[in-house]
Amino acid sequence: MNARETAWRVFATELNSTTLEIKATEEKMPSYVVTPLGAKINRVLIAGVMTEKENIGSDEEPLWRARIQDVSGNFYINVGRFQPEACTAIADIEVPSFVAAVGKVRAYTGDDGRTRVSVRPENIVPITEDVRKEWILETAKSTWKRLTGTKRVLGMGDATKEDLVKSGMSETEAFGITYALDNYGQMPDSSLYLKTVQAALRMILPDRDIDLGLPEDLSDSPDEFEMPEEGNGSSGNNAAQLEDMILNLLEELDVDGKGAPREELERRAEAEGISSIELEEVSNTLMDKGLVYEPNLRYLKRI
Amino acid sequence: MENEELTPIIQELQRVLGDKIDEEQLAVELNKYLNEYHVNIDAAKRGILRKYGDSDTPTFVTGNSLVKKIAELTGTEQNVDITAKVVFADTKEITAKGLPKTIVSGILGDETGTASFTIWEPGTIALAKGSVYIFRNCYCKTWNDKVQINIGSRGRVELADGVRIDLPERQITASPTEIKIGNIKEGIGSVTVTGKVISVESREITARGEQKTVYSGLIADDTGKIQFSAWSDFGIKEGESLCIKNAYIRSWKGIPQLNLGDRCEVSRVDEITDVVDTTTNKKTIEEITRIGGGLDITLDGLVVDVSQGSGIIRRCPQCNRSMLNGACTTHGMVEGVMDLRLKLVIDDGTGAMGTIVNRADTEKLTGVTLQAAQGLAAVKGEAVVGREITSKILMKRVTVTGNVMSDDYGPRMIVNSASIKEMDLEEEATKLLEEVEASI
Repeated sequence: MNARETAWRVFATELNSTTLEIKATEEKMPSYVVTPLGAKINRVLIAGVMTEKENIGSDEEPLWRARIQDVSGNFYINVGRFQPEACTAIADIEVPSFVAAVGKVRAYTGDDGRTRVSVRPENIVPITEDVRKEWILETAKSTWKRLTGTKRVLGMGDATKEDLVKSGMSETEAFGITYALDNYGQMPDSSLYLKTVQAALRMILPDRDIDLGLPEDLSDSPDEFEMPEEGNGSSGNNAAQLEDMILNLLEELDVDGKGAPREELERRAEAEGISSIELEEVSNTLMDKGLVYEPNLRYLKRI
Repeated sequence: MENEELTPIIQELQRVLGDKIDEEQLAVELNKYLNEYHVNIDAAKRGILRKYGDSDTPTFVTGNSLVKKIAELTGTEQNVDITAKVVFADTKEITAKGLPKTIVSGILGDETGTASFTIWEPGTIALAKGSVYIFRNCYCKTWNDKVQINIGSRGRVELADGVRIDLPERQITASPTEIKIGNIKEGIGSVTVTGKVISVESREITARGEQKTVYSGLIADDTGKIQFSAWSDFGIKEGESLCIKNAYIRSWKGIPQLNLGDRCEVSRVDEITDVVDTTTNKKTIEEITRIGGGLDITLDGLVVDVSQGSGIIRRCPQCNRSMLNGACTTHGMVEGVMDLRLKLVIDDGTGAMGTIVNRADTEKLTGVTLQAAQGLAAVKGEAVVGREITSKILMKRVTVTGNVMSDDYGPRMIVNSASIKEMDLEEEATKLLEEVEASI
């Protein structure tokens, strides 16, 4: 099949945390990037505010670079002569303005070892603020779907792609999520994506005072996030208590030496009044301290 | 090579060459090719046929023809002999490469199965239904996963005197699968469905040379709807709830249809009230891609691209197809009729699909009428028209309804109705918010 590739709706936060590539090995085979939430992307549909643009080529052979800001980050786009429609269009678009673009993604790794993903729009058009909000909503929905899908897979132990398809997931979703979990080597930073979804909902429903109870960004309240020193005050104690509880749970749940299954751990933690976000933070701390490790992504084990 | 080994080859050659060469001479020739010049048998046969063959009927072929039963055909045979009974045959007038042409087509059967056939150069051959013939030097192709037997210019048809073929009773595949209409797809064989008749109409058709009444319409259950055709009168009425046993699925251009043949049983059941909203048959592109096609499908998506061939086009006044560079691919240079259309790529986040939108809906979606487009074209050229209507529709959210079929490039919809889709941002965002809040 040479069916046209789907234009994925992703936020900049998800696209920019992408470091995984599936490169074409044959002619005519498309290349993909796989996001931490398992979107296997060749093409994207993005929208936001074009905040800057620059022609780094010449008048005869323009090569445009631009930034499009969505709710929480920036898309980096390149438009050259191989995208004639977009190239003509971008020249006429004022900065700043609302735009939507469809294009292929391209990942490259710089000298510093960081992977960056840029978009090469085939089409880019000015849009209204409402259309922009529609994109935000659609993208929030699709991000939420991947997030819950990933969570579900983490809760299913060693489920294979086939198991997931049987459980009602689409082929594309099942492949993407298992591929991402197996190859990123760490769980996606769910609070990052939840925050993005929260920002999206806040933008569409400004009067609702949406608060999903997520820790605010460091930049918003830098002082609160100083690393607590050992045995320092009540919050430190609280954290230490939580850590002990989790360590005990890990021991208890590790029945076969493989470690504690995440799903089970989450359920038990919740029964103890520890939310899944807290659990994730505590497990990260424990891992940083070298007290626990992940024998694989769906298990956590005490060292 | 010994003489007795040559006998079957000589016989084969004689069959083709008839009295153009006598057996003795043939044996000499063959001996020369094989034993003096040491060429292989195929090359020897080819050479002799070429030398003595009748130029009016270029019967020589490459390689040996195989003899096969119908069930053994794979659809890749280049040269095969088939002895089969004519189940039915019909003479047709077609247009090939712009010229009228007469062909004979129908169905052949033997003990192992049946297949459709076409004789492309029938000449004076008249096939009698029920008689057995040897079809020589046929080539096979597959279409829709079914083998088709072709008898081309080098093929021959001979009456197989005294050969009798009994066609097997039609094979009854294991009991029909009971299936929901929404899950029906190409190639699933015979099925049993229970549904409500949404519409039914009868029409007269000429099938295989016989006048026939076909009853067709739409039937639906709680998962989908499908077009049906009944080949005999089951007395189906609109609004009835039916259990249809042993119907078979045929696809037309990727759209599955339910066929009620001779072996089909229809019974009335208790009224089915739980039927899909038959005014819409909403699907995601991912679902459509999986099923392959369907009738009257509705989907929402964003116009992510406007393909070449959108805007003002010219249609052939004879066949109504769109012309390329001022010429119709069938009728050559003709004075085209102006029309307006859109070829949109619609993407709903689960997949992408090509669509073709007719003039009325193009005018509705873009607000540009054919008249206005012609006016603009007269002043600024047709390319500008294309750009103008592209800018009116690109990145717009649309709802389209139409029939979908698939090929190598994925699904494609011929749109019957289209409109700009309004989104209730607040309502949908609230729904998402509630879902998110409930699960963290």
